[in-house]
Amino acid sequence: MSAATLLTRLYPPAVRERWGEDIGHEVSASGIRSWPDALAGAARLWLHPADWPETFTGQTRRVLTVALFALTAVTGLLLRSAEPSAAVTAGFRHPATSLWLVPLLFGIGLAAPLPPLSGEALRRVTAAAVRTLAAPATAVAAMCLTAWSGIAEHLTGLADAAMVLYYWLTLGFVAFRLCTLVAHIARTAALPTTRRLSTALLYVGTGLALAASQNLLAAVGTAPRPGPLSESLALGLLAATAISTGRDLRRTRA
Amino acid sequence: MHSNDAQMLVLTVLADGPLHGYAINTAIEELTGSRLGPGSLYGALSRLEARELIRPADETAEAQERHRTMQITDTGRDQLRVELQQMARISAVGLRALGIAPA
Repeated sequence: MSAATLLTRLYPPAVRERWGEDIGHEVSASGIRSWPDALAGAARLWLHPADWPETFTGQTRRVLTVALFALTAVTGLLLRSAEPSAAVTAGFRHPATSLWLVPLLFGIGLAAPLPPLSGEALRRVTAAAVRTLAAPATAVAAMCLTAWSGIAEHLTGLADAAMVLYYWLTLGFVAFRLCTLVAHIARTAALPTTRRLSTALLYVGTGLALAASQNLLAAVGTAPRPGPLSESLALGLLAATAISTGRDLRRTRA
Repeated sequence: MHSNDAQMLVLTVLADGPLHGYAINTAIEELTGSRLGPGSLYGALSRLEARELIRPADETAEAQERHRTMQITDTGRDQLRVELQQMARISAVGLRALGIAPA
C-alpha cells in the first residue's frame, strides 16, 4: 500500500469519498514533505464532524457512533496496558474511584444504536453478533485455558514474549470486532440524533476527564512515576478529543 | 498555513470561476508562490462547503463524482468581500504607520 493511499484512508469516510482521489493525487505529487500536513488535516477533520460532506443521510451520525465505541475500546486497552491504577478502579466496592465510569456509561447508553424491535430484526442482529464475535470469543477462551493450565507461568524468553503478544493481539482483536459489530448494527438500527450523539460525546469526554483527574491526583501524592503520568495524559487527550468533537457536532444542522 | 488563510485563498481563486481541487491549488501556487498541503486544502474545501460558501459546480451526482469542480456561492462572495475589505483597511493603516503610501 502506498503512503498516499494510507494517508487518504486516515480521513473521515465522507471526506474520503468526496476528496479521497484528489488527496491521494496531491500527496503523491508533493511527496514526503506533504505528509505532516496531510496527517494534521485528517486529525483536524476528525475533530470537526460538522465539516464532513455527507454522501448519504445519517452518514456522520453512523461514523461517529462507531468512533465513540472505538474511543471507549481504546480507553479500555489503555487502562489495561498500564498497571491497573487504584485511583480509577471501578466496582461496587469502590464507589469513589468508580465515579468516572458513571458519565462514560451514560454516554455509551445515549449513543447506542437501537435495532428495530421486531423478531426478524433481532434474529438478524443476534446472527451478526454470533458471526462477528465467534472468532474473538475462541481466542479469549484459548487464552484463558492457557492461563488456567499454568503453562504461561513457566515460560521464558521468546515463548514468554510470544504469550504477551498473543494476549495483546487478542484484546485488540476483541476491541476491533466489537466495533465491527456496532458498525454492522448501525447500518440498520435507529441511530441517535445529532444532539443526542453530541451529548453522548460530552458525557464520555467528561468521564474520561474525571478518570484523568483522579489518576493525576493520586499520582501527585506519591513519587512521580512516568507510568501514571503518561496514563493521565493519554486519558486527558482522549477526553479532549471526545469533548471537542461533541462541541463541534452541535454546529451541525439537525 | 492557518486554516482560515487557506479558506480565504480558496475563496479568492474561486471568485475567478469554478475549479476542481488540483486546479485550485495550482491557482493558489500562482498567487502565493507555494501550494497548500493536502490537509489544508481539502480541510478548507470541506469547511467552506459545510458553511455553504462554496458548492459543487455541477449538481448531478455523476459529475460530482468525476470532476468535483467547486464554485463560490453568493454568500461566499459576500464573505470574501468583507474579509478583503477588512484586510485592505488593516493594510492601509499598517503601511501608513510605516510611512509607505498605499498603492
